[in-house]
Amino acid sequence: MSDTLLQVEDLRVRFDQRGRRVYAVNGLSYRLRAGQMLAIVGESGSGKTVSSRALMGLLPPSATVTGSARIDGVELVGMPEPEMRRHRGADIAMIFQDPTRSLNPTMRIGAQITEAIRAHARVEKDAARARAMELLSLVRISDPQRRFYEYPHQLSGGMRQRVMIAIALASDPKLLIADEATTALDVTTQAQIMDLLGELRSRLGTAIILISHDLGLAASYADDVIVMYAGRAVEYAPTRTLFAKMRMPYTRALLDAIPRLERQSHARLPITPGQPPDLTALPPGCAFEPRCARATPQCRTSRPPFAQHEVGHWWACWNPCKDGEPV
Amino acid sequence: MLGSPSLRLVGKRLLMAVPIVLGVSILTFWVLNLIPGNAAQQLLGPEASPDQIQQLEEEMGLNRPQVVRYLDWLGGAVHGDLGTSLVSRQPVTDELGPRLAVSGEVVGLAFLISLGLAIPVSLLAARWPNRMLDRISMVVSTTGLSVANYVFALLLVLLFAVQLAWFPAIGYTPLSESVTGNLRSLALPAIAIAFPLFCFYTRFLRSDLVDQMQGEDYIMTARAKGIGPWQVLLRHAFRNSAFGLITIVGLNLSTLIGATVIIEQIFALPGIGQMLLQAINTRDFIVVQACVIVFAIITVLANLLADLLYAVLDPRIRYGSN
Ligand SMILES: Nc1ncnc2c1ncn2[C@@H]1O[C@H](COP(=O)(O)OP(=O)(O)OP(=O)(O)O)[C@@H](O)[C@H]1O
Ligand code: SF4
Ligand SMILES: [Mg+2]
Repeated sequence: MSDTLLQVEDLRVRFDQRGRRVYAVNGLSYRLRAGQMLAIVGESGSGKTVSSRALMGLLPPSATVTGSARIDGVELVGMPEPEMRRHRGADIAMIFQDPTRSLNPTMRIGAQITEAIRAHARVEKDAARARAMELLSLVRISDPQRRFYEYPHQLSGGMRQRVMIAIALASDPKLLIADEATTALDVTTQAQIMDLLGELRSRLGTAIILISHDLGLAASYADDVIVMYAGRAVEYAPTRTLFAKMRMPYTRALLDAIPRLERQSHARLPITPGQPPDLTALPPGCAFEPRCARATPQCRTSRPPFAQHEVGHWWACWNPCKDGEPV
Repeated sequence: MLGSPSLRLVGKRLLMAVPIVLGVSILTFWVLNLIPGNAAQQLLGPEASPDQIQQLEEEMGLNRPQVVRYLDWLGGAVHGDLGTSLVSRQPVTDELGPRLAVSGEVVGLAFLISLGLAIPVSLLAARWPNRMLDRISMVVSTTGLSVANYVFALLLVLLFAVQLAWFPAIGYTPLSESVTGNLRSLALPAIAIAFPLFCFYTRFLRSDLVDQMQGEDYIMTARAKGIGPWQVLLRHAFRNSAFGLITIVGLNLSTLIGATVIIEQIFALPGIGQMLLQAINTRDFIVVQACVIVFAIITVLANLLADLLYAVLDPRIRYGSN
């Protein structure tokens, strides 16, 4: 398809730490259209952050990335650092979970934004300043003239996250990765930031990858949803299809977990009973099998393929749920 | 930049300094009186008769009760008169000036050398952690910290003064006489003081930089902007480390006083440390007292300066985090 912005194929990430190998991402594939909002959901440790940082070359040296990820046809996996730097911020930008820690506490807001503007374009100081003001207005920060000269701790959490978004948008990226960008915020602020992201997407045409463990959040904002488990995609569908015909027992478990999640979550707790899989030694069969209510002997021995079983609806399960059937 | 909170801090800290300096002076006075022998005995030597000694003691006012002598001294001190040397009969304050200048020059040079080396070395080490330069700098700074500075000073003398004869082993050339001569005479003592400082700063700075580069979200944000690695290191990591470094330098200033006493002795530099040791030997309690008071005031001021710089420079403190 011609409007494909990002094509991820069989992406794998492995960490080598003192003889121990952690297989964090194990063959992830998906496609993102320009201007699309895709949610990647999954419980803690499922590889959401690692797989998206791999796209930007922002993993520590202990990580080995293989497979393919092409943005506008340009291969990102294995790209040398100096070249990768030209894509960072310019093509792909990222905002993080904790806006308190993701801004430099000793630098003025304005300097942090203009730095991003001037990273990819020859812009005079004055022009960069004007553009920063524009960006601050764009993310609806009132009184940008004043905020420009303030330090992060003088801003509320929601405003800091808006500043992070302004920084991310500085070079008009085609893709914005929001990694749990609203998890640390209160419910009202969370909704405001999500609305802002939605608005920016339609105004600027920026594609957004929304990383979250909250299936509910994904349901309200994303066009498509990928559910990840143990570093793999296990279900992938347009949001409406997914909620109408949820096939994976794990997705169902995630959905059932929403009321229990409370806000403030991001606790490193499994959402469904049982332990998340050991990423140093993945089983030969379905990784969810030890925790799955629908598991059969086949699930233990052979891994279900991730395939398009219905139009636009992909999943990897030997015994998918039927329409409306309880787990 | 100096808002009223900073000014209040200065006022409060200066007020707190008064009892500290006063306490130090009382303690010194008391301890000095416990040391056997006094200036009169010391001046006249072991051959002197008890009558001669008593006469000189009376002239010097040493026979008066301790408390009276202290109050007498204090009365002068609050007016800036630190008394008259028992030995040279010169006003102590006259001698303090040039002595302080010498010590100040050595310490200043030591700071320049240590920071001038520690900052680039730490930056290079943090840019490529666990690589060659990082490992070397870690080994040097770790071993360096376990070598006493007088041992290091003697090694310097052996190598650069005795073996290579690049620098004089001892002695001091005033700045007014010859600038290069002055720097040459201060080079070895300054390096001797600078080396442990260099080790200390390098260790602090290197690990602070590496910790930030590997663990801080704002470093990830900076990298995600697509700016270069040096810019991330300098504008983001080093900037934050600099605030901590300033505090450490300020605190070091007070611990350096001890180092000057030893180093000035080894290199025969006419600084305040040497003045103190000589005065102790001659039991010139007035001079000892003056030196100790000067040390106490420098310590208090250095700590105040460190806090103040931190408060003025670091925006997190400047605006009071909320
Ligand atoms: N630097 C690293 N070294 C070794 N293992 C790592 C490293 N970074 C991440 N991992 C491992 O990779 C796995 C996936 O981590 P990732 O951060 O992508 O999870 P996540 O889905 O983002 O979870 P969360 O919801 O908690 O953010 C985890 O098991 C984690 O322990
Ligand atoms: S493949 Fe088997 S174990 Fe895995 S989710 Fe489906 S039913 Fe459960
Ligand atoms: Mg994560």
